[in-house]
Amino acid sequence: MDKIIFTGPMGAGKTTAISSISDIPPISTEVRCSDDAQLRKETTTVAMDYGYFSLDDGSRVHLYGTPGQERFDYMWTILTKGGIGLVLLLDNARPDPLADLTFYLDAFKDFIQQTGAVIGVTRMDVSNQTSLDDYRNTLFARDQIFPVFEVDARQPNDVKILIHALLAILQ
Amino acid sequence: MLSKLATIQLEQRLSKLIEQCSAVDAAVVATLDGYTCAMKQRSQQYPLERLATMGSTLMSLGDTITAELRLGTCDNIISENKNGIVAFMHIDDNLVLITLATQKNALGMLLSHSRRCAEEMKKVVV
Ligand SMILES: Nc1nc2c(ncn2[C@@H]2O[C@H](COP(=O)(O)OP(=O)(O)O)[C@@H](O)[C@H]2O)c(=O)[nH]1
Ligand SMILES: [Mg+2]
Repeated sequence: MDKIIFTGPMGAGKTTAISSISDIPPISTEVRCSDDAQLRKETTTVAMDYGYFSLDDGSRVHLYGTPGQERFDYMWTILTKGGIGLVLLLDNARPDPLADLTFYLDAFKDFIQQTGAVIGVTRMDVSNQTSLDDYRNTLFARDQIFPVFEVDARQPNDVKILIHALLAILQ
Repeated sequence: MLSKLATIQLEQRLSKLIEQCSAVDAAVVATLDGYTCAMKQRSQQYPLERLATMGSTLMSLGDTITAELRLGTCDNIISENKNGIVAFMHIDDNLVLITLATQKNALGMLLSHSRRCAEEMKKVVV
């Protein structure tokens, strides 16, 4: 079973990306935010998102989204089990998206080492303070080379490009 | 977020739960998005903040499952284990009560005391 994991900070678009391309209405576990994050977003994922989508050859790719916040890190461990690769979504409009990049690469280090990753940068229309080259340079400085794309999680084609790029580097 | 007064009342109710039901070893109230509101335990041995966050995950998975099956909202989830029982239940739409017992054969006691506690807490937080 091909299982891909979507992770990244809260608000980067994990839940949106999965619902953009899923063949079925995705299973999601959204609850109301009780803290200040509510100012940015009404709800947050506390267990997982799940959907799947079919490739041209008919095979299915299962899509799992993690909660973004570190307090849910046990779900990261649970959800990455059996996964074939990671889609890391980063919100370019957050205060320090390069720090987010570093944080998630470290948090998913073992999983990425065993599999592979692609990076999707969202909300570049909201802020272009950080460029794709900035992300690539950060990766380069870490000796990690992963494809980096500008994506809008609401656009199915953008999300599909990420999935195909991930499947390509895993081959 | 809860008022200071509501938080104190929740803590008092948790103390009462532990006093009245000898089977309860620990109890914690969490928001559905994983923050701890109040906690009490007999001896300081369990990481209750972690349990609170995991409880929110489990409760919302329970809600997701029962919604998919059209069974209504999930009243409670019971985890029965070799060395104890953990019960998760809604206080209201936003809060979860998690209680833990290590005594043998304590399921009935744990559930009835916890359920009453949750119902009373619901009145405190409106
Ligand atoms: N302006 C803009 N909004 C986006 C873009 N990608 C996603 N979004 C929005 O950002 C929000 C992401 O929320 P969500 O999917 O719940 O994020 P999650 O916490 O990662 O699951 C949604 O409101 C999306 O519509 C983008 O490229 N540009
Ligand atoms: Mg989400």
